[in-house]
Amino acid sequence: MTQPIPGIQTIGMSYAIGPRRVIDGIDLRLDGPRVGIIGRNGSGKSTLSRLLAGLLQPSDGTIRVEGVDVWDDRRAAIATLGILFQNPEHQIIFPTVLEEMTFGLRQLGRAKSEAKDAALATLAQFGKAHWHDASTEALSQGQKHLLCLMAVMAMRPRWLILDEPFAGLDIPTRMQLVRHLESCGAKLLHISHDPRDLAGYGHICWLDQGRIRATGGPEVLAQFETQMLAEGARDDLADLAG
Amino acid sequence: MISLTSPVRTRAQDWPAAAKLGALLAATTALFLLPGLWVQIAALAAVLGLYTLPGRVFLRHGLAQLRVLWPIVLVLLVWHALTGDLPDALRIALRIVNAVALANLVTMTTTLSDLTEVVHRIFAPLRRAGLPVAVIEAGIPLVIRFTPTLIQKGRALHQAWRARSSRRANWRIVLPMTLLALDDADHLAEALRARGGISPFED
Repeated sequence: MTQPIPGIQTIGMSYAIGPRRVIDGIDLRLDGPRVGIIGRNGSGKSTLSRLLAGLLQPSDGTIRVEGVDVWDDRRAAIATLGILFQNPEHQIIFPTVLEEMTFGLRQLGRAKSEAKDAALATLAQFGKAHWHDASTEALSQGQKHLLCLMAVMAMRPRWLILDEPFAGLDIPTRMQLVRHLESCGAKLLHISHDPRDLAGYGHICWLDQGRIRATGGPEVLAQFETQMLAEGARDDLADLAG
Repeated sequence: MISLTSPVRTRAQDWPAAAKLGALLAATTALFLLPGLWVQIAALAAVLGLYTLPGRVFLRHGLAQLRVLWPIVLVLLVWHALTGDLPDALRIALRIVNAVALANLVTMTTTLSDLTEVVHRIFAPLRRAGLPVAVIEAGIPLVIRFTPTLIQKGRALHQAWRARSSRRANWRIVLPMTLLALDDADHLAEALRARGGISPFED
């Protein structure tokens, strides 16, 4: 067997909605520990994150994460990568914290008691052991975000895909989440519209209208910001898609 | 609040869920089969006894959960007082209170996953017959999780209506509400797929 390519690799990855290619033939080769993807609203960021997580099937091209075909091989995919959605309400499936935490572990094929132990261990590791019986509905927004992170990290994925995880969070909540993310032990692929979220990231890709406009180091963030200020001075809100 | 959980750790939480459900079934059947007001009064005393066992905090919390029953009890008593059959009304009212109190006792001391586990075992013959029962089992916690969410979405939609209308929300709110629910279903499907979907792993 040949050695799988490490990291994330896409070749000609495309995703079409009707005649419109929301993601248009992207070739990427990314590896951790931290990769940032920056782009405007509507540039295809969320679609990209869902393609890389295997939640959407590419219309064209191939996607491999640590050698795994994330759309076809779901079993290997959920053991390889986790994703945090922008809105934790869209991610939390169960009424209590412990059930939310054990769900993914059971899907990995763990026995019930083993899944429970692993979930409790992850809660303890995050210093939240006392949360296990809490109702997910009663958690604050920041706590819901943290629960989603813990539920995914309990599955020990090698990659964590973040889809605008800080949108709408206050500064203290954001600082605490950043701390948890930095020490979570997975490689991060962080997708955002805000250059501040990606400060300090070594590898940056700029996504623009479904294509990669630039890749490189932190200088890409500066180029992006300059371009955003220029576009902000114009009136492109008037343009309709299509 | 839809979740009915015990505020304190009780010994009953370690008992098997199937045994608790079985006992509840037997007790409720007995409550409905045995005639006489005194049986119900004795049963009430026994139920109250059970509630006091885990301590004062549990008793107060448990009784608070039963408060929702008082309108039903009141209607029963008033109706039967008018028709002149008060002892009968007392019997029925006590029977309802006893049955609900016992059921609450089981719910408060049993986790949802333990209850679904019992359902899983009860469904075993159907599963062997090839019916897709895993979907039903997975559906139980989802209903509990999404009922408050839907209520909240409904409220938000109502507020959006009120913010720009002086009239009460009418039937035109039904379609957007339905679309919101479908939207939620889409998000849920995605969340399930992201962590492995509903696949029936056996122990």
